Amino acid sequence: MKTTNWYTIQGSDNDVVVSTRVRLARNLQNYPFDPLMTEDQAAQICSLAKEIYTEDDGWEYTDFGSLTPTERRAYAEKHLVSREFAESRYKGGLLSKNSVHIMVLEEDHLRLQSIYPGFALEEAYRDVSAADELLDNRAQIAYNEKFGYLTHCPTNLGTGMRASVMLFLPACSKAHLIRGFEEQLGKIGLTIRGMTGEGSKAEGRLFQISNQITLGVTEEETIHKLSGIVEQIVKQERELRGILCKGKRDENLVRNQVRRAYGTLLYATLLQTEEMVRLYEDIRLGAALGMIENLNPIRADEMLFSCMPNTLMANGECKTPEERDEVRANRARAILTGETGN
Amino acid sequence: MLCEKCGKKEATFYYKENVNGVEKSYTLCSDCAAELQKNGTISGTTMSGDPFGQLHKLFSEDKLFGSLFNAGLKQPESRETPKCPLCGSTFAQLAKNGKVGCPGCYEAFEAELMPSIRRIHGRSTHTGKIPVRCREQNERKQKIAAMEKELKESVASENYERAAELRDQLRTLRENDAQ
Repeated sequence: MKTTNWYTIQGSDNDVVVSTRVRLARNLQNYPFDPLMTEDQAAQICSLAKEIYTEDDGWEYTDFGSLTPTERRAYAEKHLVSREFAESRYKGGLLSKNSVHIMVLEEDHLRLQSIYPGFALEEAYRDVSAADELLDNRAQIAYNEKFGYLTHCPTNLGTGMRASVMLFLPACSKAHLIRGFEEQLGKIGLTIRGMTGEGSKAEGRLFQISNQITLGVTEEETIHKLSGIVEQIVKQERELRGILCKGKRDENLVRNQVRRAYGTLLYATLLQTEEMVRLYEDIRLGAALGMIENLNPIRADEMLFSCMPNTLMANGECKTPEERDEVRANRARAILTGETGN
Repeated sequence: MLCEKCGKKEATFYYKENVNGVEKSYTLCSDCAAELQKNGTISGTTMSGDPFGQLHKLFSEDKLFGSLFNAGLKQPESRETPKCPLCGSTFAQLAKNGKVGCPGCYEAFEAELMPSIRRIHGRSTHTGKIPVRCREQNERKQKIAAMEKELKESVASENYERAAELRDQLRTLRENDAQ
């Protein structure tokens, strides 16, 4: 992967916000969806996408059919493609340029996505819109006045836009506020889920907040609404982190947990994914609270995303799970101590 | 931190309420939280505050969307369903998959799909971005309508020179539209 990994770059409100994504679902008129699509039609869509987003303009195409399952899953671990795309579609590929990544032949013919570190809804929407304009000028996009952009699943009709912000919420989780968020957000057309998306548990105290409704609302309205809610939750998380460390005793309890986690990560020889994710929660909170000297929250994010199982295996550094745990321990330590670039 | 009620156990619940502008917050252990919940001091349904006080009010019209994704596509009816002229899918197939066969299915099965779409989104008409191709069509339609109006007015005010100009321009626009 030539593009710089988003999780190695400092972003806005990084103490709470890990990343921001905006994706647009786009389809070509006169082409059916899977499974009605023929091999020929699939090849035509791929060719058209590569003609629009060319190498000369700086786009890099990765043919997913030529990747191993591990390599495909590594892309999903970095949130550059969906898990579904990594698991089951080998006809298409991924076009990437800077913040924009376009899945060709996912559920929809094209899914354009922009991902940014930190809180950057406007920037992500701006970039994905620019890529959408290129497509719009060259292809007949499936659209009608009533339903807007026509998508494989009716849940994406209208703008075809899903905007999501990934938040690190250890204090809100500890205070059992997530269930309340779920209820409140549901009432205003938004949703909160665990890190890996639909129906997943909240690994690493990471939660994604995104819009559910895409029809009858403009892109700007959705971004404005999501933005307002995220600001409120960020404020609440910061307030609760303050309460968590109120007074010497409580602060010491948190500091103790944070520094023990950091110590384990610095000295472990073997490190399993589950343990790494658990320790991540502690050191990321510690980094955000300034409890670990020279450790920035993005270093913790870099450790988390770089030490995922398929990402480590895809680099070719390890083959067996045991080898992987050793490589993970070394990699985590190197990132935290700044011995490696990205 | 310790529970503020018993002062013994670790607090694991945070509860905030706002009654007539008076804000109260509690940090409690699970036992004390359960006790206060039982005697009605704190809300029994959720152990959480409302962080969205103002925003929630701002978007209160969206309460309509409360029960969003509960409903899937409507089950097929026993009568014969027509096929999508583009991909050949029947509505029964769409209902089974929960997804359409091709973009053309939305036009072919608009009436059948509409209740589900309304249930999912709460609304049924797009208001966002429009592709360039449709944007131009939209603008052309609006331009023709405005010129037709001006043409009528010019004839009524006996400004035949302007009327002739408009008639020629309209003819060109309509010819382009037909192509």
